[in-house]
Amino acid sequence: MLKRLVFGAVFLAQPVMAEQLLVNDALDAHILPRYEVLAESTAHLHDAAQTSCASNAPDLRQAFGQAFDGWVGVSHIRTGPSEENERAFAIAFWPDTKGFTPKSLATLIRDQDPVVQDPVEFKTLSIAARGLYALEFLLYDPAFVSEAKEGYHCDLVKAITTEIARNASEIRNAWQSYQAKLREPSPDGPYRDETEALREVYKALGTGLQFTADARLGRPLGTFERPRPKRAEARRSQRSLRHVEVSLQSTYELALILSQTELDIRQSLRLAFDRAFELAAALEDSDFSGVADPMARFRVEVLQQSILRIMDILTLELAPALGVNPGFNALDGD
Amino acid sequence: MTTRRAVLKGIMASGLLARASWADAGAPKYLSAGRRPNGSYAVYGLSAHGSIQFEIPLPGRGHAAAAHPTAPMAVGFARRPGQFALVLDCLMGSVRQWLAAPKDRHFYGHGAFSADGSLLFTTENDFENAEGRIGVWDVFNGFRRIAEFSSGGVGPHDIRLMPDGAALVVANGGIETHPDSGRAKLNIPTMEPNLSYVSLSGDLRETEALPKELRKNSLRHLAVNSAGHVAIGAQWQGDPKKDVPLVFTHKMGGALHAIEASMNAQSGFEGYVGSVVFDATGQAIAATSPRGDRFAIYDLADGSHKAFQTPDVCGVAASEQGVVASTGQGVFLAAKTSGAQELSSAPVQWDNHLIRL
Repeated sequence: MLKRLVFGAVFLAQPVMAEQLLVNDALDAHILPRYEVLAESTAHLHDAAQTSCASNAPDLRQAFGQAFDGWVGVSHIRTGPSEENERAFAIAFWPDTKGFTPKSLATLIRDQDPVVQDPVEFKTLSIAARGLYALEFLLYDPAFVSEAKEGYHCDLVKAITTEIARNASEIRNAWQSYQAKLREPSPDGPYRDETEALREVYKALGTGLQFTADARLGRPLGTFERPRPKRAEARRSQRSLRHVEVSLQSTYELALILSQTELDIRQSLRLAFDRAFELAAALEDSDFSGVADPMARFRVEVLQQSILRIMDILTLELAPALGVNPGFNALDGD
Repeated sequence: MTTRRAVLKGIMASGLLARASWADAGAPKYLSAGRRPNGSYAVYGLSAHGSIQFEIPLPGRGHAAAAHPTAPMAVGFARRPGQFALVLDCLMGSVRQWLAAPKDRHFYGHGAFSADGSLLFTTENDFENAEGRIGVWDVFNGFRRIAEFSSGGVGPHDIRLMPDGAALVVANGGIETHPDSGRAKLNIPTMEPNLSYVSLSGDLRETEALPKELRKNSLRHLAVNSAGHVAIGAQWQGDPKKDVPLVFTHKMGGALHAIEASMNAQSGFEGYVGSVVFDATGQAIAATSPRGDRFAIYDLADGSHKAFQTPDVCGVAASEQGVVASTGQGVFLAAKTSGAQELSSAPVQWDNHLIRL
C-alpha cells in the first residue's frame, strides 16, 4: 500500500498518467477480480444444483448465497460486457415493480413448459423468469418451494443456475478484451482519453451507492405514513441488509482505489464508510421488516443518510479532485 | 417609465394580467431556469442575446417552462419528481401562484398550453400505479385543476401542442420511477417508451413505439414545427457507448424516422440528448448533448448537418437567424449551419431548457 501511495505522489505532477494508473488499478484490484468471483461462485451454484436441486438442500442454499454475494459485489459495474445481450439483467432482475418474476415462474410451472430442457431456448424467456431473483422464489418462497429431488421444479432450478453461470462466465470472458479499451483509451474507442476512462470507473462508484440508498433502502422505507417492507430486496432469503453491506464493501474497495492520491479525501471516505458499516452492523433487521416500526425505521433512515453522506464526499470532493466532475446539465439525466 | 409601471401595477391589482401582453414585459425573448453562484436556483427572462431581463428566485431546481401564448406569464416546473409548479408573472418578475401536484402525483417538468391559453396540460406520474397522466388546469379560473387523463404510456416527459391546436404530442419516456426511491429507474429491462398523440380531452389518437432493439431508448424531448413534424430527442438507457440513434422525426400517421447523423458513434452524444428544437424555418432540427459536450444542427431539406463542441450545452431554442443554445457554464450562443458564435456569458449555470417566448 505504501508503494502505491508513493506512486500516486510521483504521478501527481503528471495528471494524465495518474488517471490511467487509477483506471488500471480499478481493473486489476476491483473489476476483474470481482467478476472472476462472480463467475466462480455461479459455476459452483450450477454444480450444487446439479447435485441437489431441492429448495431446502443446504449446499444449494449456501451456493445461492455465495453467488448472490458475488453478484451484489459487481452490481454497480455496469459497463460494456455486463450490458451486452442483457447479461446483467438476466442475472439480476430487480426491482420487479409489476411482479413479473412470480407471474412468469407460475406460468412456466403451470404449463410444465419444456423450455427448461433446452438452454438455448431458455435464453429467450423473459429475463424476469431467469436469474438469481427468480431462483430465490424457487428456493425460499412458500408458494414455489419444493423438496422433490426430481421433477419440474428441479429442472427449472437447474436451468436457471446453468444460465446464470453461463452469463457470468461470458461477462468475465468479455472483460478480457474489453479492459484494453479502458487501459488504452483512443480517439476511435469508446473512451477517447484517460479522463473519460476514469470517469467511467468513477461513475460505477456513484451508481452503486445511489442504488443502495434509493432502491435497496428507499424502496422498503417508502414513506413514514406508508412503509413498504415487502419491497425489500431479497427479503425471502433474508438477504436485504446483507446486500446493503456487501455492496458497501465493494464500493468501499473502489473508493479507496480512486482516492489513493487524495489522502485527505480518502480519510473522509474511510470515516464515512466506517460509519455506514457500523450502522448496518447494528441494525439486526435482515429483511427490513422493521421499517413499519418507528424506532427500527429510524435506524434504517440513518443508515440511508450515512450513504448520502458518502455520496456528498464523492461529488463535492473526490470528483473535482480527479477532474471527472460531470457538468451541471450532463449530470442531470432528464 | 414610472407611468408605464404604474399602469402595469394597476393592471396587476385588477387581476387582469391576462390582458397585458408579452411586449409589455421588457420583451424578454427566452426563459431559462438556472443555478446561481451561491447554489440557489432561479428562473430568468433573457434577451435575444442572453442578457438577463428579470430573475425570479425558485425554492429548488427548475427544469422547463411553458410560455402562455398571449399573456406575459409562464409556468415553470420543478425538476422531476417535482411537487410544485410556479405561475410566473413575467411583468412583475414574481411568482403569481403555486400549483401543487395532486396527492399520489408528481410533475415531470414539462407542460403545454392550449392554443387560446385557457388550459394548461402537465405531464405527471401516477406513481402508485406507475402510469403516466396528463393533468388539465383551467388557466383563467385561478389554475384550477379540472381533469386528468392517460398520457398513453409510462413516464411522460415532454408535451407539446400540435399546430392544429386539437391534439397534444407526448413523449412517454417509458421509465418507471417512484418518489420513495428518488430518481432510481425501476424498470430499465422492461421499459417501453412511446410517442403518443392525444386529443385535448384525452382520447388517444396514435401511438408509435420503437423497434424492440431500441426499447431502451427513452423518448424524452419534443419539438413541433408548423407543418406538424415532430422532432424527438432520446436518452439511451443501455451502454452509453452502443451505437444507437438519438434524434427521430415523426409525422402523425407515419413511422418514426431516425436521423442517421445522430447515431452515437457519429454524433458523439454519449447516448444522451438533452433538448431538441426546430429552427425558425422549421426545416432544421438542433439537438444538444451535455454528456457529449456538443450539439448539432440537422438540415432536413438537404440532409446536411453541422456539429459544434460546447461544454455542457443543453438548452436550445429557435432564433431569428437559426438557433440559440445555453450551457451549464453560463454561455449563451447563436448557431446556424454555417457556424456558431458566443453572444454572452452570465454567472448563472443555465439549466436544461431554453424556452422561446
